[in-house]
Amino acid sequence: MQHEAVADLLEGLTGAARPVRGAPYGNYRLGSAYDEMFDAGAAVRPHYAELDAELLTLAPDELHRRQQACELSFLHQGITFTVYSDKQATERIIPTDLLPRIVTAAEWNRIETGLKQRIEALNHFLRDIYGDGRVLKDGVLPRSMIYGSKHYRREMRGVQVPHGAYVNVCGTDLVRREDGAFVVLEDNLRVPSGVSYMLANRDVVRRAFPDLFRAMGVRPIEHYPRELLAALRALTPFQEDASIAVLTPGVFNSAYFEHAFLARQMGVELVEGCDLLVNDNVVYARTTSGLKRIDVIYRRIDDDFIDPLIFREDSSLGVPGLFNAYRAGNVVIANALGTGVADDKAVYAYVPRLIRYYLSEEPILDNVETFLCREPASLSHVLANLDKLVVKAVGESGGYGMLVGPHATKAECEAFAEKVKADPENYIAQPTIQLSTAPTFVDGGVEARHVDLRPFILNGEKTVIVPGALTRVALKRGSLVVNSSQGGGSKDTWVLSS
Amino acid sequence: MFYSIRHVTRFRYSAPVRESVMELRMQPRSEGPQALRSFQINTNPRAQLYAYTDHFGNAVYHFNVLRAHEELRIEAQAVIELSRLTPMPEAVDTLEWERFNSYNLTDDHFDLLEPSKFSFYSPALARFMAENELENPKRDPLTELKVLNRTIHDAFAYELGVTQVHSPIDHALDERRGVCQDFAHIMIAVARRWGIPARYVSGYLYHRPNNRDRSGPDATHAWVEAYLPSLGWVGFDPTNNVLTGERHIRAAVGRDYADVPPTRGTLKGIAETELAIAVAVEPTLAPVRHEDFLRVARPMSAPQPTPSMPERLYHQQQQQQQ
Repeated sequence: MQHEAVADLLEGLTGAARPVRGAPYGNYRLGSAYDEMFDAGAAVRPHYAELDAELLTLAPDELHRRQQACELSFLHQGITFTVYSDKQATERIIPTDLLPRIVTAAEWNRIETGLKQRIEALNHFLRDIYGDGRVLKDGVLPRSMIYGSKHYRREMRGVQVPHGAYVNVCGTDLVRREDGAFVVLEDNLRVPSGVSYMLANRDVVRRAFPDLFRAMGVRPIEHYPRELLAALRALTPFQEDASIAVLTPGVFNSAYFEHAFLARQMGVELVEGCDLLVNDNVVYARTTSGLKRIDVIYRRIDDDFIDPLIFREDSSLGVPGLFNAYRAGNVVIANALGTGVADDKAVYAYVPRLIRYYLSEEPILDNVETFLCREPASLSHVLANLDKLVVKAVGESGGYGMLVGPHATKAECEAFAEKVKADPENYIAQPTIQLSTAPTFVDGGVEARHVDLRPFILNGEKTVIVPGALTRVALKRGSLVVNSSQGGGSKDTWVLSS
Repeated sequence: MFYSIRHVTRFRYSAPVRESVMELRMQPRSEGPQALRSFQINTNPRAQLYAYTDHFGNAVYHFNVLRAHEELRIEAQAVIELSRLTPMPEAVDTLEWERFNSYNLTDDHFDLLEPSKFSFYSPALARFMAENELENPKRDPLTELKVLNRTIHDAFAYELGVTQVHSPIDHALDERRGVCQDFAHIMIAVARRWGIPARYVSGYLYHRPNNRDRSGPDATHAWVEAYLPSLGWVGFDPTNNVLTGERHIRAAVGRDYADVPPTRGTLKGIAETELAIAVAVEPTLAPVRHEDFLRVARPMSAPQPTPSMPERLYHQQQQQQQ
């Protein structure tokens, strides 16, 4: 999975941690983090009552058997992901947890309206910086932040995108603060992944708890591929006749399973760069029956690699001439190129201001408090509090190039401080966030583990959010790192209809 | 003053290659004192040309050749008219430094203050600036830029083959040798360091017979334009230590060479490439105007349509020959 999700922190071992009650909750510790299932008084929250009842009636062996069935199902379906630079095995099953994470209708409503507001503002922002640059003239954010960003694509200046929608598929990482409010940790506007795990988790967990699933009125998510197909079709005037392809970097990509899965679910071509060619400014796929024109490309390749004629010359993944066909309007690429400039961690800090600027509304979903090291006052604060903060390189992803202050040694902190001082514009810092905890099946019992939430937003002619999300869970006790590349697992997410 | 420019580029491959895709930035710009009177591109193998205007305002042509070929030849021919330049003052006032503000500069200017792929501040550049007392410009920006132009001209030897197209400026700075492209990149980096928006110009230089230009004929040329709020864009040619004038023909502008290579392409196949370039710039008395073309054209009867042979069939039959 591309992006890191979490900042971090030690479980609140500060005395408050205590077991909730007897089996299967013998090892369930409540800390200072918000718990999804139990309130501060250790009483079960109403929307978890049915799950609680089910867990109390089931024998421990039965839970174990169902967990194994889930894992087996994943293995048989070949739902795997790739961990880079791991000596043992690069291809792994993503650990899935048996117990669903439950979101109430009211909570979802707020998330949904908040995300729609956010993506609208971000699309405004992208239109603006690739157009008139009003936001820069008005000094809302510094010019050097845009012009200095490696994801700013000058080639996109003046290029028209359908419906003015740059971000057609967005995966936003949310976390829940101690006070229970959902806040945005990161916008993923380039090639967000994980939606196939959302669908696969639902498939297996629904079968593990069939009665509970029916009784609780969980909103369906199975129509996601259909919605994605509709969103992609709506980017062309051809609608049903549009010829669509999913462009993957290839089998060695960590999300290749997902690319193949989505292509199959939508009934469209799965292609690599070498399967496409551009002739006379039109994009074609090489098929067994000759060349077939392609109208929309759902690309899962980064901008840099997509066209060696325009971007990285050494890219062997891309299609030479693709960008010029795109510029001429002969093909649509989703997401549009150049969206990465808006999910930069430094621009992230400005999103609440962008919402006010473009929409004249107050942000519905807050940001996590963020210090920009480019601002001298923030820099000195960050350097003085390195041991309490999470420091991230602006352009990196997937948990690489970051320092988790509370977990780092003094030497690590000092070495990182030098890096930050040498290039302050490249770093931001956030307080360590206590991600909320959710009941997770561990070693035959139910324990609290930290989770985040990644809903997927489809945007084009209209904005659609399928009522579900990928919940990522840090399977190690106390860990706050939920990235699948760093030992995280995932859970099914049940959004209730009422 | 009219010039005709002929720019031939030939790629020869040691083995057949296919799926060549190419972008060309060789159409002289039509703005200011320079007006484009005619322009055409021919390729061999023949290809359908497409064009767009990039965000610097350069005309970009692109085409592709699918089938196997061992040679690709691109010939561009242009006629431009260069009117007399308005005389440049000897100097501007020192208050000019204060005018580099957001009132006078637009986003495009600000973008030309940031480091770019080939023009950036580096330790080698810092040493060069220190050695030549370029760190704290005190006189007005025009005078300082002229001094910089001369300093680069005097400090570097013009020598082909020392640097490559993709050499960073550090290479030329260490060697104190290079070509017009290196000198332009260095001048741009210094000007930006001073807070002056600077851009790279690729184009052509007319060499008078018995000229003493350092850059040779038969080649494209490169120089620098710096933005001074009270004068606009001012051209400097550090290779020849002159302000640009009636011999400089502008083809494309960008942050540095990376934005404006005359040709940029990809292909499929494994082959050695031999690149040959020929450029001829000649003064002409007057261009042939479009109306004249029309007048001399002899009326010709249109080819008869062949209703008995549908177009598709025609094409299919043609294909059988190969």
